Amino acid sequence: MLRRTLYILPMALALGTTASAESDKAPEDVLNELINKVDSRYLTQSEQNIMMMPDNPAYWTAEEGEELFYEARGPKNASLETCDFGKGPGVLDGAYTEMPRYFADTGKVMDLETRLIHCMTTIQGFTKDDAPVKKRHGSGSDMMKLQTFIATKSNGQPWNPPMDHPLEKAMRDAGQALFYRRAGSFDFSCKTCHSASGKRIRASVLPNINVPEEWTKAISWPAYRVGHQNVRSSQHRVRGCYWQMRQGLVKPGSDASIALISFWTDAARGQPAILPDMKR
Amino acid sequence: MLNQKNILIVGLIVVVLVLGIYWTTVVDEDEVVAPTPTEDRPAVPPPAPVTPPAPPEDRTAVAPPADDDYTAMTPQALAEHLVFKASGFKLDEATQEGTTVNERQTQDGIQKACSALGSKTIDGDTAAKVNAMARESLVKPEGGITLGDWKKGQALARSGYGFRVGHRDDDHSTREPGGNCYACHQMDPNEIAFGTLGPSLTGYGKTRGTSDAILNYAYEVIYNPHSYFPCTYMPRFGHNKVLTQEQISHVMAYLFDPESPVNQEVKPLSF
Repeated sequence: MLRRTLYILPMALALGTTASAESDKAPEDVLNELINKVDSRYLTQSEQNIMMMPDNPAYWTAEEGEELFYEARGPKNASLETCDFGKGPGVLDGAYTEMPRYFADTGKVMDLETRLIHCMTTIQGFTKDDAPVKKRHGSGSDMMKLQTFIATKSNGQPWNPPMDHPLEKAMRDAGQALFYRRAGSFDFSCKTCHSASGKRIRASVLPNINVPEEWTKAISWPAYRVGHQNVRSSQHRVRGCYWQMRQGLVKPGSDASIALISFWTDAARGQPAILPDMKR
Repeated sequence: MLNQKNILIVGLIVVVLVLGIYWTTVVDEDEVVAPTPTEDRPAVPPPAPVTPPAPPEDRTAVAPPADDDYTAMTPQALAEHLVFKASGFKLDEATQEGTTVNERQTQDGIQKACSALGSKTIDGDTAAKVNAMARESLVKPEGGITLGDWKKGQALARSGYGFRVGHRDDDHSTREPGGNCYACHQMDPNEIAFGTLGPSLTGYGKTRGTSDAILNYAYEVIYNPHSYFPCTYMPRFGHNKVLTQEQISHVMAYLFDPESPVNQEVKPLSF
């Protein structure tokens, strides 16, 4: 915890009063400021979760991820310190809130998960079938530990996925089309549940993509899902939504999934990320 | 290890200070700061200030695209490409209705017309078109509209089982799929876990009676609500074969039967 503060403090000092100074706040402080700004039943729906955020089990996941990150692993016996998440090799602070982004070395727009897999296979020499790469879900997976560690380094930072490369724009715009694309047995699209504020499915209040202050919490993954007793990723959320919509399985790391994540991140632009978050 | 970290921290401070000074002196506060160009990434102009996504028309003038040049496709064309061509979905997986996911992902006329609205509310032309499509495909039950067993209707209204594929597939041979009405509607006034995406249906039969006209209307809304509410969020339970005619009659009994909990008074909470 102290180490976290030490990393973040100089950033806060250097940037003074700009929006990025938020990073010295705990995730629950970031959330509470949003609650004070907008009237949102989604943000306030679980007082209990907000109370539990200082003891978020995702912190343990992140801590295990930090150990994994700096450990020499895989057939090439290398750490992930040379992995470039978009802001230079090993630069993690604020990297996640600027993803998905275009990477020249692969020629692709990548989200955190696909970039991490790219580094684990190229730098550490893991294959696609090795457990550290293959197992994508659950707090016990290397993938979730590493993702949670890396993402937590962007807590309080404004979402700011770059849109200067034509592919970044193309993916974001295709993601928008996918968001509104109705299909499947129930005729649902993402819009069905995420275009009005204060609406519920059963007892759960849904986030509205048109209210960025609400939407930033919605997309703040990894988050500890209390109901699952596991930390979950953005890719897990995309898969779960398509499953509940009775559409087909969206393939993990597919361009379809990344396009959707590009669009949803862009919709929260400028709002501070809550990392790690705690969700119902 | 500790020394390495200290070096890292000092390095960070320096980088961040330089960046910070650049930011506070050179860049307007309202501007979005461009990421620092690296050798890997060609230098590019800073991104425009926050703007809504470009409308689809922007890309229609582009020459016929190469098969996989994402930047040469319209957003809609790229979205279709990502679903059907770029291995976005597991298209060959079998579905409960005996087709494959490919069919699930393929849009019919109503799905296509309503998707084209994007974030906009419906316009008159789309409403007329979608309404006509719904009217044309309406199928009435052979023996006329009847009310079934409200208890079976209650179970169907509560159950969200059915039609999920991809992982933990719903197995219709072990459990009947439901209508999941409570996900979006209030029905029994004594049920507190109800959704609000749709209107409350509490006291439905009690307040509306059971005339042929209202029974006919309720059936048509359950079968295909676009007949009355074009581009509604409600699924087409009959048209999409999510519920059978018999199941629809049970759900209707749950709405209309005077004995159904939907038409009872609110009981005071007791602990």
